[in-house]
Amino acid sequence: MPTIDTGDTAWILVSAALVMLMTPGLALFYGGLVRRKNVLSTIMHSFFILGLVSVTWVLWGYTLAFGPDTGAGLIGGLDWIGLEGVTGAPSDVYATTIPHLAFMAFQMMFAIITPALITGAFAERKRFKAFVIFAVAWSTFVYAPIAHWVWSPDGWLFGLGVLDFAGGTVVHLSSGVAALVAALFIGRRSGLVEPATEPHDVPMTVLGAGLLWFGWFGFNAGSALGANGIAATAFVTTNTAAATAAITWVTISWLHRGSPSVLGAAVGAVAGLVAITPAAGFVTPAASVLIGAGVAGACYAASQLRLRSRIDDALDVFAVHGVGGAFGALATGVFATVAVNAAGRDGLLAGSPSQLALQAFAVGVTACYSAAVTAGILFAVNLVIPIRVPNEEEEAGLDLAQHGEIAYQP
Amino acid sequence: MVIAALATFAALLVAWLVAPSTERRASRPSTAPRPTELVPEAT
Repeated sequence: MPTIDTGDTAWILVSAALVMLMTPGLALFYGGLVRRKNVLSTIMHSFFILGLVSVTWVLWGYTLAFGPDTGAGLIGGLDWIGLEGVTGAPSDVYATTIPHLAFMAFQMMFAIITPALITGAFAERKRFKAFVIFAVAWSTFVYAPIAHWVWSPDGWLFGLGVLDFAGGTVVHLSSGVAALVAALFIGRRSGLVEPATEPHDVPMTVLGAGLLWFGWFGFNAGSALGANGIAATAFVTTNTAAATAAITWVTISWLHRGSPSVLGAAVGAVAGLVAITPAAGFVTPAASVLIGAGVAGACYAASQLRLRSRIDDALDVFAVHGVGGAFGALATGVFATVAVNAAGRDGLLAGSPSQLALQAFAVGVTACYSAAVTAGILFAVNLVIPIRVPNEEEEAGLDLAQHGEIAYQP
Repeated sequence: MVIAALATFAALLVAWLVAPSTERRASRPSTAPRPTELVPEAT
């Protein structure tokens, strides 16, 4: 009979609050990167999703992602629609030492930030109404199924033994790939000066990155689902990977471009946080140094390639979250060890190369599914509501054209 | 109760779909001050 542990419960509720703070943090991170005329619309994407997905998660998202399986490991049933049967008593399946509602709330914060990550790809040119419909559909048809595959005990990828501690595939790879598809679908911003427009407020972006880093302790250490040694491990590996990636990115950009970029420190930290997410509770602190250093190089290279391409993933969501998420998922297959977490599995360096192959398989499946369904959703939404704003609105700026407000008085 | 909650969300969804289009609002004179960003982007 599951019984509630007060320490575990307190930690998960605090972690849920920490993860919640990440979405406003993301709003600031993205808001600083765009031009002045689009800062409100960019912030609004994340902030509106905070409300929107909070409601859809309670109504149907949670049961689709974590409800009792419908039989094939693909999606949860409707047993818990509207949180029917989800109470203050522990679940028999998930985190059995905390209230089921606490587990649901913690997972809700992940469901909120994932579609918000995508918004960086179509910043400065997406119609708000189309964005709202897209967010509801994406959360339902992409996020919920993938979360079920990977995190439900009945999910088919979980059954295969795929490791994803806090969402490398479920959150970052799925949203990163969706961002790439969205950027290709919606096309390049008009009126861009080359090289790409500079961020309008770097301090805002650094503040956002700081809030993301802070909230990520809840994201990863909270994913231990208890106040225990695994949470402490995840806390340390999270901070170490973020720190290593930040200083590595700065070093690379210093050597490459001739100056130690402040913006690079912020983006590098986020890349490190992304990569350690799937590995946080499975690897040693030393391994997190290698993961942080490696992902900084991989994501920096990806962002440079994107700059040279015609793809206008405006805020480099794919380069950071897509590439970083894939890197982290694969690194988990390399560095994971049951010496750190007995509930995990050994990776390549612990003598199990098959785990790396399994992680690569999960990366491929998640990327393909997200790409295909995201494309379908974009196509369908565009039939009803044109996704892109007219050129004159884009030139005027979405703050005024879409929201009737401006961020800064002249 | 769950059905009422779902219906509430459905009503919001319909409201978003029928809310004034951007083009209509944009065609009305705005009372908001013009931001400096409205000048053409420097190239």
